[in-house]
Amino acid sequence: MTAAKPPLSSPLRPPPRGSSTPQATILLIVYALVTSGLLLWVVSSGILDNLGNFRSLTISLSFAAFLTTLFFAYRWNAHPVVKILVAAVVLLVVLPIAGVANSSLLGLGLQIGIFAALALGLNIVVGLAGLLDLGYVAFFATGAYIWAIYGSPQLGKILGNPALEASKGLPGGYFWLFLFLGIAVAALVGVLIGLPVLRLRGDYLAIVTLGLGEVIRVLANNLTPLTNGPIGIVDIQRPPTGLIDGIRSGFNLSTSQFGLLFLYVVVLVVIGVIIVVNIRLENSRIGRAWIAIREDEIAAQAMGVPLVRSKIIAFATGASFAGVMGVIYSAVQTSITPESFTFFASIGVLSMVILGGMGSIPGVILGAAVVTLLNLDFLAALSEALSSLGLPNELDPAKYQRFFFGLILLLMMIFRPEGLMPTTRRKLELHLDDAPNDPDGSASGDHGSGDIGTFGKSEPSSLETTGRISNPVPSSTQNRSGGN
Amino acid sequence: MAPITSAKPTTTKLVLEVSALRKTFGGLVAVNDVTLEVPRSSIVSVIGPNGAGKTTFFNMITGIYSPDGGSINLDGKNLVGMRPDQVTHEGIARTFQNIRLFRAMTVGENLLVGRHARLKAGYWDALLHTKKFHKDEAEGREAAQILLEFVGLGRKSGELAGNLPYGDQRRLEIARALATNPKVVLLDEPTAGMNPNETEAAKALIRRIRDELGVTVVLIEHDMRLVMTLSEYITVLDYGTKIAEGSPKEVRNNPRVIEAYLGRGAAAGEYGKEG
Amino acid sequence: MTQAAAPPKKPISPRSIVGWVVLALILVFFTVFAVIPAWDILAAVMPTVIVQGLILGFVIAIIALGYTMVYGVLQLINFAHSEVFATGAVVGFEAFTILQNSPINAYLKLFIALLSAMTVCGLLNMLIERVAYRPLRGASNKLVPLISAIGVSFLLQDLLRLFEEVNRKLFNLSYNLPPEFTQSVTVGSVSVQSKEIMLVVVAIVMLIALNYLVNFTKLGKAIRAVAQDRQTAGLMGINANQMIQLTFLIGGALGGVAGVLYGMQYGTVNAYVGILPGIKSFTAAVLGGIGSIPGAVLGGLVLGLLEQFIGSVLSLVGSVLPADNPLKFLEAIKAEYKDIGAFIVLIIILIFKPAGLLGRATTEKV
Repeated sequence: MTAAKPPLSSPLRPPPRGSSTPQATILLIVYALVTSGLLLWVVSSGILDNLGNFRSLTISLSFAAFLTTLFFAYRWNAHPVVKILVAAVVLLVVLPIAGVANSSLLGLGLQIGIFAALALGLNIVVGLAGLLDLGYVAFFATGAYIWAIYGSPQLGKILGNPALEASKGLPGGYFWLFLFLGIAVAALVGVLIGLPVLRLRGDYLAIVTLGLGEVIRVLANNLTPLTNGPIGIVDIQRPPTGLIDGIRSGFNLSTSQFGLLFLYVVVLVVIGVIIVVNIRLENSRIGRAWIAIREDEIAAQAMGVPLVRSKIIAFATGASFAGVMGVIYSAVQTSITPESFTFFASIGVLSMVILGGMGSIPGVILGAAVVTLLNLDFLAALSEALSSLGLPNELDPAKYQRFFFGLILLLMMIFRPEGLMPTTRRKLELHLDDAPNDPDGSASGDHGSGDIGTFGKSEPSSLETTGRISNPVPSSTQNRSGGN
Repeated sequence: MAPITSAKPTTTKLVLEVSALRKTFGGLVAVNDVTLEVPRSSIVSVIGPNGAGKTTFFNMITGIYSPDGGSINLDGKNLVGMRPDQVTHEGIARTFQNIRLFRAMTVGENLLVGRHARLKAGYWDALLHTKKFHKDEAEGREAAQILLEFVGLGRKSGELAGNLPYGDQRRLEIARALATNPKVVLLDEPTAGMNPNETEAAKALIRRIRDELGVTVVLIEHDMRLVMTLSEYITVLDYGTKIAEGSPKEVRNNPRVIEAYLGRGAAAGEYGKEG
Repeated sequence: MTQAAAPPKKPISPRSIVGWVVLALILVFFTVFAVIPAWDILAAVMPTVIVQGLILGFVIAIIALGYTMVYGVLQLINFAHSEVFATGAVVGFEAFTILQNSPINAYLKLFIALLSAMTVCGLLNMLIERVAYRPLRGASNKLVPLISAIGVSFLLQDLLRLFEEVNRKLFNLSYNLPPEFTQSVTVGSVSVQSKEIMLVVVAIVMLIALNYLVNFTKLGKAIRAVAQDRQTAGLMGINANQMIQLTFLIGGALGGVAGVLYGMQYGTVNAYVGILPGIKSFTAAVLGGIGSIPGAVLGGLVLGLLEQFIGSVLSLVGSVLPADNPLKFLEAIKAEYKDIGAFIVLIIILIFKPAGLLGRATTEKV
């Protein structure tokens, strides 16, 4: 019998290209040089002092332009080795240098990294398995509070041990252990929450997870002996960098700067691991099970996929990513309050996944970058710039985070529900059928861009879900998500 | 190919024994104490007018509904109370009246999902890319390819399931069901919407499933020609109750069956003349 | 013969028996250790708690109706409903403020406020449906319209805030109620303000009107038809789009009324006032069985009572218990827990009754 390997497409690796083109390679190198140069010049030269209120905006825009290098490194048809080199230099050389010159940039880079990891975790839950979790931030909070409690004076306060209080909790080296504990505990919480909750239908699941997220936040806010209530926990330790202190003094950096840089590298490493985990799981038995569940639960069950078990595994996996990032977040911020873990934050991560493209690894990273930059950086910078132009206080952009969030979500869903960098699979899923003419809305709605299907699959309708014998729009099966 | 006999299967070992299965929805008795005995490696059919309860019957066997009474035994093992995925593990597979393929997955991926119950590598194997994982995946792909060739879709494994023509979609559903390595496969109206050529091809495929794979086939069908020429044994349901059973010849001359389909007073009519 | 419309009745599952037994045990435990020792204080406090609970419950119930009706016809959680409610609260504020110095009857002022809120919010809801939901009605992925709803919700929060900041340079808006509304009336052992009585009256009138509309008019029948089976309703000549818009109109109007009542009762509103009541009301709708109108009312009342109970009674009871009482920890339950009490109850109910208290278990035809 022939053991021919069927060409199963893997939607997340950019499909194997032909050969890379030298033009693209050169373009990439030039682009990287230009944007990096621009950024470094902006942060280190004195020009900013002359810009007054446009200072922040300039930094913002240069930083954003700089980050787009990574985007193009992914998409352009450049030589693979060059792509990797460019990405490495951008992330490991230029960004740290810029970050040392301007610490807010390093902080921003860290936030993007942390939220990218969160988005990757939620990507498994929502993007692969199709479970709408509106309380994802609860796992993040779990990880954060674990290290916050054990790695700060809070531990001493709880146990009534002044020595522990003075030493700020367990020795800082325990941070590494707690990275793994963060994974384990968050996963455990995920399983415990999932067991009763994951048998519920989509909308119910959404509202229950939303509720659970709020429950965790309120508990954090009110269990003061444990979590120090609304004030939060301060003085959280960072992992010690004693062993490589030589590097620190070599570059003449302060302890705090170096600590932050160190954590930045840790974040990059963890993201790398998360990406590998994501890819491996998606192309395995469990990954296919998740996608099958998302597409059609009943058919998946008929194929032997255990529904609740698979969903719990997805939940726990997603939770574990959030857990480990929570631990890191605590160390980066050195102080946390329950206000970092609101419903708004959960929706924020969800919007990153949606914006970027559900199920798409590069997509959600892009989404994380865009949303984080918008929220933490761009709006504030814009508002500063506009204030000097006499804009009335009421129209200050920085106060309108929700407006922009909401607008992004709405516009994306109407015009490009598959996201900015969708997987091939997702694009096809959303645009699979033809649109029949339906003037009074009784069939399924008069939509312009051609996505029509029966509205909602598992609804209380006594109609049989019709097997579709339509001629689907022949969106090309060779559609590439990454190439050009 | 073994000739289709019309002898009532009694002595051969039964692979599936359904006794007095019952299902009530509110005030309506959908399935009323139906008994079905399926001998190993046979092709049997369950027929009846629309609304007779056939799909509900299938749904109980595969665990989607829980029966209000009766028993389901697969090779002696009681399946009542099992979830659908557990039933598939035990060895019953099915296709759906309205095709339920994973439309945004490729043909090959659909089959690999079908293989879920038989693949052995777990979560940690996938994470760590152990040898077991690689071997498992390779075996899965191989099995998928074999099955695709068996149903005649050998060269389409990279195509998107949603893009396949209707006849191919039906075949893919069958291949996917076979990927679960079943003892019994339940086909729910597998030739609905097919033209005569496709129906003949489907008929040949069903026979090959029994002859080459040894898998037992239980069929729900409306195409009487197909049913009469393919089945070894036929059970007829009407309003949830079994009204007749026997060989094709016995069934097609049964006045109660004719009445159920054509109404009281109808002559023996077309069905009596079918070959 | 056609399939009966009633859903399959499952035999009583062991899980449900366990649930009832556990519930009974908890109630007994609670009675013995908390109710009896704290009887005096409970007796004194309960009437007020119940009255306040019902008042809150009515407001939540009316908001919940908006959620449940929209869910019934579109199977969509209208996340923006909380902002429609907030808009109603703001419109009410504007109405009362504009009419502040006019000599017309106080009850007429209330009527004008309610009518304006109903109109504005009804139209707003219809607009939302047209712009954000209808284009997505064919989406094969259920998450798409839901995310769009969340987007609209956030958008409206800030738009509403912009409106009031530009209009009146204020964020927090305090209702300027006519003095007639703040008079106290004593009913039995409870003292209520006349505005609270007005609230309940308005709420009940709304509920009666809705019940009449949905169950006794042709329009109502059309809405119910679209909710049950949109395709067939279309085949019967019902214009589904129009009925859906009508549903949104009604839901929005109800949200507007609830907004005015809320502002009247609690005094101060702002652009973000809808968020928490919105979540609670949706929880109430789910609790009662999403899609069920009586369920939304039941859920709302239960939630209102529960919230008052958790917020006021539990810690009070705890404080009078002796130190060795196992339920002494109740004293530590702070008021903020009342907000999540609803969720905890919801989760518990859904574990044992996944379709909610009055919901129908739906089966998908395979």
